[in-house]
Amino acid sequence: MNGATTSDLVLLVPELILIGMALALILVARRIRRGPAAVVGTVLAALAAALVSVWFLPNGATTGFGGMIALDGYSQFFKVLIAATLAMAALLSVRTTDGEQVPRAEYHALLLLAATGMMLAASALDLLTLYLALELMTLCSYVLVGATVENPMSNEAAIKYFLLASFASALLLYGISLTYGVTGSTDFAAITSALSEQGVSANPLLLVAVGLVTAGLAFKIAAVPFHAWAPDAYQGAPPPVAAFLAAGAKAAGLAALGRVCLVAFGSQAQVLSVFLAGFAALSIIVGSVVLLSQTDMKRLLAYSSISHAGYALLGLIGGAPEGASATMTYAFFYVFMTLGTFGVIIALGERGENLDGYHGLAAQRPGTAALMLLFLLSLTGIPPTAGFWAKFVVIGSAVRAGYTELAVLAVACSVVSAFIYMRVVVLMYMREPQAPAPARFPVAVSAVLALAALVTLIGGIAPGRFVVWAVPP
Amino acid sequence: MTGYHLTATTFLPLVGAVLILLVGSERRARWIALAATVATLAVSVPLYRYFDKASSALQFVESRDWIPSWNIAYSMGVDGISLPFIFLSSVLSVLCVGASWSAIQSRAREFYAALLVAETAMIGLFAASNLFLFYIFWEVMIVPLFLLIGGWGGPGRVYAAVKFLLFTLAGSVLMLVGMVALYHTFGTLDFRALAQVGPSLQPGHQAWLFGAFLAAFAVKVPMFPVHTWLPDAHTEAPTAGSVILAGILLKMGAYGFLRVSLPILPEAVQLFVRPMLVISAIAIVYGAYVTLIQTDVKRLIAFSSVSHMGFVTLGIFTLDRSGVEGAVLQMVNHGVISAALFLCVGMIYERTHTREIKDYGGVAKSAPVYSTFLALFCLAAAGFPGLNSFVGEFLIVGGAFRTQAWLGAMAVWGVVLGTTYMVWLFYRMVMGEMNPGLEGLKLELNAREVATLAPLALLALCLGLYPELVLSYLHAPVAELLAGVTP
Repeated sequence: MNGATTSDLVLLVPELILIGMALALILVARRIRRGPAAVVGTVLAALAAALVSVWFLPNGATTGFGGMIALDGYSQFFKVLIAATLAMAALLSVRTTDGEQVPRAEYHALLLLAATGMMLAASALDLLTLYLALELMTLCSYVLVGATVENPMSNEAAIKYFLLASFASALLLYGISLTYGVTGSTDFAAITSALSEQGVSANPLLLVAVGLVTAGLAFKIAAVPFHAWAPDAYQGAPPPVAAFLAAGAKAAGLAALGRVCLVAFGSQAQVLSVFLAGFAALSIIVGSVVLLSQTDMKRLLAYSSISHAGYALLGLIGGAPEGASATMTYAFFYVFMTLGTFGVIIALGERGENLDGYHGLAAQRPGTAALMLLFLLSLTGIPPTAGFWAKFVVIGSAVRAGYTELAVLAVACSVVSAFIYMRVVVLMYMREPQAPAPARFPVAVSAVLALAALVTLIGGIAPGRFVVWAVPP
Repeated sequence: MTGYHLTATTFLPLVGAVLILLVGSERRARWIALAATVATLAVSVPLYRYFDKASSALQFVESRDWIPSWNIAYSMGVDGISLPFIFLSSVLSVLCVGASWSAIQSRAREFYAALLVAETAMIGLFAASNLFLFYIFWEVMIVPLFLLIGGWGGPGRVYAAVKFLLFTLAGSVLMLVGMVALYHTFGTLDFRALAQVGPSLQPGHQAWLFGAFLAAFAVKVPMFPVHTWLPDAHTEAPTAGSVILAGILLKMGAYGFLRVSLPILPEAVQLFVRPMLVISAIAIVYGAYVTLIQTDVKRLIAFSSVSHMGFVTLGIFTLDRSGVEGAVLQMVNHGVISAALFLCVGMIYERTHTREIKDYGGVAKSAPVYSTFLALFCLAAAGFPGLNSFVGEFLIVGGAFRTQAWLGAMAVWGVVLGTTYMVWLFYRMVMGEMNPGLEGLKLELNAREVATLAPLALLALCLGLYPELVLSYLHAPVAELLAGVTP
């Protein structure tokens, strides 16, 4: 393996921009205690990273760092998505970092570093690179979840998240080492060629390896049975961090899972589909059913994100490239509708965090209520919103993969979850207000809501504009 | 081919809705809504003028690429079966605005916006010429109605709205799976193309697909035993909501059978035809008996819909020319009559604030014009000769007798019961001594309300005396439809 050359570094320009901004923020941390400099810096870095990913990098797939890092349509798609998540999460944080409770510069530096980890995970072509990228993301996330130091809930959430995530990292690492033992390599291409000669029947250890790797990755997207961290972490974390985790970590986890399933373990689709179908079915059922009893909005969205992880996995079951692009489409639309929903929660302040706060919102804030309605319809999967197309493509790939029963189960559970999403609508539109109208929210939050609503609507009316970018690995 | 006429008719109300949300004040909202619905009706007029009744082909066809990478097109077109419903939707929408003129006081902007979105969904559903677009409009329809029922309905509105939502959603998600399965088998969702290739599917496969679509259509019609959402939704909805529910929404399910199940899955239709006929007959008789014992006017009309829609599904599954034509005619008739009855009830409810039949009586004394309208619509609903339902029921009963004599007998029994409950309702509300509770109330209709009811009265008379108005559209497409189904 050669040392990194300049041409290798070019592949990492988006990540380098984020890291550079993170370091700069830490250097000037003392000077930007006040003012929006940190938010502006983070958003600018995210925009620059997205622009570079789209326009300035060489077209066509290339690899660098001795085949450890890929630059292809797949990684570009996720890099743009993660950059958007980062920018929106930073904008949503304007209020969280008010006051001295959360150190402003450090908070945004951690967001930037976590996003760097997510981007690397989307372009990793080596199990160890992937592991390091995911660890970078997760380590930053622990701190972010516990960012409000004075809040015991936040501390508790961070510790729970840390313990469970360490366990999952161990699973992943163990899976990686077993894979190395079986195939003699951690490189995706080498694993593929090694596995094409031997199957699970020839080497039962492989079954364990595949199972552990997928389990470790399933943790990152909060798929059942590795979901237990999500409700606590989301509830305890500052709302923008919960949004960032729900959207970004899920996208990065799906990106990693997609590449591992299709490229590294591509020849083992039979085995993988059993694991993935199990994760998907469990996530959809548990997510939708437990959703029904939630009254805390962040917990509610945590279970919603669990069920959505299940839907997104439906695309990967078949092991087909079309399925992977269905999952990508799902991840894309999911990110925007989830960030939009979190945006409304944050916009409403204290009132937004509990279900009871939504009583009579339509009479007090018709615009905000209409946006929430849009995002909730999208989460339910009702046209003409982006969520419908997301559901349509993954159901389609499940049917094509021969899992019709799973597709029926998935749509049946979407009715179950519709009950709770529509309960919020009922509260907003069909009940009298119980609390005074919420205060006006910052313009940064409005910007996030507008962007999320735009993507949710345009994605609902003309999804073709977005799906052309969903290039499978 | 790219026309624009159907698109314009479909999306004009949506433009009105956006206008209301953007610029309308609470007071201006109803004027914008009226303008939008009247404009839609006006724009749709050339559709009827230039329609070629002799042809069974789709007309006013539009087709544009929508999502090329998935081979999904935006395509619209109407034939003789769908055109009457576009007319009905646009007429009833105007009347809905008229009926809500003074009844809706709070949050009028959102109310009229929801109403107009519902109109777009209704017209779009009947104008769609591929299953995909059909499904989109089908689902879009749910949301505004959910909001209308739950936001502006009666005391039990939230329960009714959620029940409506969950029932219809549960049905339609299965249709989604059916649609996805068709899409992956054939790579197209165009109705005409599917009708060419669909019949070649294995009968077992067809049966599953039929079941998936049946789940969606049966809930909407609603067929026995999934009709239980209907009495709640119709009763609690505001007048305009009840009119749309009874007038159009119930027809969507029956239209789905004609558009999807019969042409695309003929083998499965042959398998399912007997159970469908049986549950239709049950709906007719059971629905009629339940209607008889209702004490709430709106609930009574709502349950009568179960019975009347039983006639429609009975007619469709006789697979007989007169049965199917009668069914479509009866769909239009029921749209006119049940809408009119809900309007009548809504108008008097605005004055008395009670829906209990026992609180009425002797209304004729103080409101002769109202009573005349009500008499006309009650008789029409009861199938009185010379009024519109008579023709539809006659054709259906004829078709039923040709299929199975006992079905015809059940249908006639239903007609007799229908006459009983409608005439009895009229007798209890309008005839006899004036109920003391009504003393001092100004029950007579005002000019706006007369103008709202008059078009429907005219339609009931015209369709009763000259049913060819609708039937002439149906001959060609129904003949083609049945040629594909009957072996």
